[in-house]
Amino acid sequence: MASHGVRRFKPVEKTPEERQQELQKIYEYRSLERLVSEEMAEQEYTAETLKNISDLLSRNPEYYTVWNYRRQALRHQFSDAEGSSEEVSTNQIAELIKDDLVFLIPLLRSFPKCYWIWNYRVWLLNEARHLLPLAVSRQFWQEELKLVGKMLTLDSRNFHGWGYRRLVVETLKQLGTPAEAASMTQKEFEYAKNMIGANLSNFSAWHYRTKLILELLEEQSASDDERRGMLDDELALIHRALIDPYDQSLWFYHQNLMCVFDPAAAGRTMAPSLSASERLQYLRNEIEAIQEMLDGAEDCKYIYQALIECTLLVSKVAGQLSTEDRNQILSWLSELQQLDPLRKQRWLDFERTLPNV
Amino acid sequence: MALVSGPGRAGGTSSDQELHILKHVTYIKNLDTRKEELEYWLTEHLRLNGVYWGLTALHLLGHPDALPREETIDFVLSCQKENGGFGAAPGHDAHMLYTVSAVQILVTIDAVDELEKRGRGGKQRVGSFIASMQNNEDGSFMGDQWGETDTRFLYGALNALSLLGLLDMVDLPKAVSYVQSCENFDGAYGVTPGAESHSGQVFTCVGALAIAGRLDLVNRDRLGAWLSERQIDKGGFNGRPEKLPDACYAWWVGSSLAMIDRLHWIDGKKLASFVLQCQDPEAGGFADRPGNMVDVYHTHFGIAGLSLLGVEGLQEVDPIYCMPKAVIARCFAR
Repeated sequence: MASHGVRRFKPVEKTPEERQQELQKIYEYRSLERLVSEEMAEQEYTAETLKNISDLLSRNPEYYTVWNYRRQALRHQFSDAEGSSEEVSTNQIAELIKDDLVFLIPLLRSFPKCYWIWNYRVWLLNEARHLLPLAVSRQFWQEELKLVGKMLTLDSRNFHGWGYRRLVVETLKQLGTPAEAASMTQKEFEYAKNMIGANLSNFSAWHYRTKLILELLEEQSASDDERRGMLDDELALIHRALIDPYDQSLWFYHQNLMCVFDPAAAGRTMAPSLSASERLQYLRNEIEAIQEMLDGAEDCKYIYQALIECTLLVSKVAGQLSTEDRNQILSWLSELQQLDPLRKQRWLDFERTLPNV
Repeated sequence: MALVSGPGRAGGTSSDQELHILKHVTYIKNLDTRKEELEYWLTEHLRLNGVYWGLTALHLLGHPDALPREETIDFVLSCQKENGGFGAAPGHDAHMLYTVSAVQILVTIDAVDELEKRGRGGKQRVGSFIASMQNNEDGSFMGDQWGETDTRFLYGALNALSLLGLLDMVDLPKAVSYVQSCENFDGAYGVTPGAESHSGQVFTCVGALAIAGRLDLVNRDRLGAWLSERQIDKGGFNGRPEKLPDACYAWWVGSSLAMIDRLHWIDGKKLASFVLQCQDPEAGGFADRPGNMVDVYHTHFGIAGLSLLGVEGLQEVDPIYCMPKAVIARCFAR
């Protein structure tokens, strides 16, 4: 259906043999489908049924109802295992879950954007959490971190991959001690850093970084000074990265950092307790640093946008817009109107609503 | 309604800027005749969505009667399960995604009454299924009993319940605060709290707030800025920073901009031109990008995007519901 990124080809009329082959494939697929639904209707939750389900899902991993069948069949096998002694039961259930996790790997590889496979995997791991001793289920969840690391190496912007990573980390934190949780946040921070290092345009990694910083500071009960230290490091980092000012991802991270100086948003940022004069000082430094970036990049619209944004923040902190700042904004705005014709009306609206001195 | 992609390809060029209405009507009408292709069967899990996409596109194209009404009702009702929810096709499990499509289809063809007439427990039973998917703790919604949570399902729930006049079956304030918890500093929204902003999720979150009457919670200028930056030089929208453009984002981004009164912040002409290049001018249908295979999903969202932009020959689309404005007006006039 939604064929994303499938290049065109010239449709050719099928030969009679090809048509016959296609019909044969349909026949096989539908027979298998019928067989599986009959087995489910008869509540035959056997190894044979599970095998047929695997076969069907390998042919069509989008078939969500069959993933539900698989859950039912597996739950049945779990409860069978629970009849045994605790040790045997644990081993049997762990074995079933392990096999199933292995079954999913090639499917995830071939269909990394299929919601249903990811969902099923999460369900399976949650079953492990509920049915198995902590040490065993934790092992499973730890393996996931490696897996999702591999997936994100293959496609560093995969939406599912990043969401899955957050979920795995969150769960591992819940399964560990507070100290282990804190060390995980630190490791994740390093991970995000490496991903950014590999590709500065990876906004998913930048986004993750913003969330991790807040967690890190929270877990360390960081003082205002330490928070300020973190802020200084981040500003230094983004200024170094902005050596390429044409990358939108970097500017979104920059915009995010600027929220620290916005009195309305500061409370939810890494440095919530800066004084007004500190905020103004930071913003003035920022404006100066960004203006330097214009040298040789006068055609880069993001620079003007950031300059305007910072200057507006100055007025927000100061409680008024000075004549000088207003004139500055208008001159940057005229550059923007030249450089950014796609968003012409946005800049006209902006000009109209710019407060008077 | 088959979800098979192709057979055509988007061959539109920048010089061909005509909307080939009749070609698209024929393309959609012929979708269900492709049962000799394996992909027809492999995409059965999307059938009911497909009917919604095809039907809505036909309405927007000004051919509301191109699909037989009785057969459509029969098919929709054949997908309903005991619990009141709908599956993708007969025999498939109930899920929010298909339940929403079922309601949208029935509303579009003015057939919600059939749920009562044909002994299906009326709209109340559908509402119960949807309401049972809400998490009472945080206000979020699951897709089905297996627990996946996503702002798509929250939007879908509010969409369908409001169309049925049953919004009071759920905890609306809690749903609203869940949506708020998915907001990022860029003014946009993610799939769950903490997730990266994504245009599709912006549509679902802003749409949910619009239905709840809480658009006052949206930071319009900030979000409008983020959304307008989705337009890239060739005119198309991408879904996230530094990604490729795709015709379907003409809808996700465009409708979000429309809901916050900022659709004029982008170059509508260039966007329309990009989307028109995604159509197959010969066999009909739209693809994600010029040169790629067409399918009914991109056909629907491409057409809906063009309708938002006021392209001539199309009926007006409602940016909140992604259904014809006339249908929404009729539904809420009651």
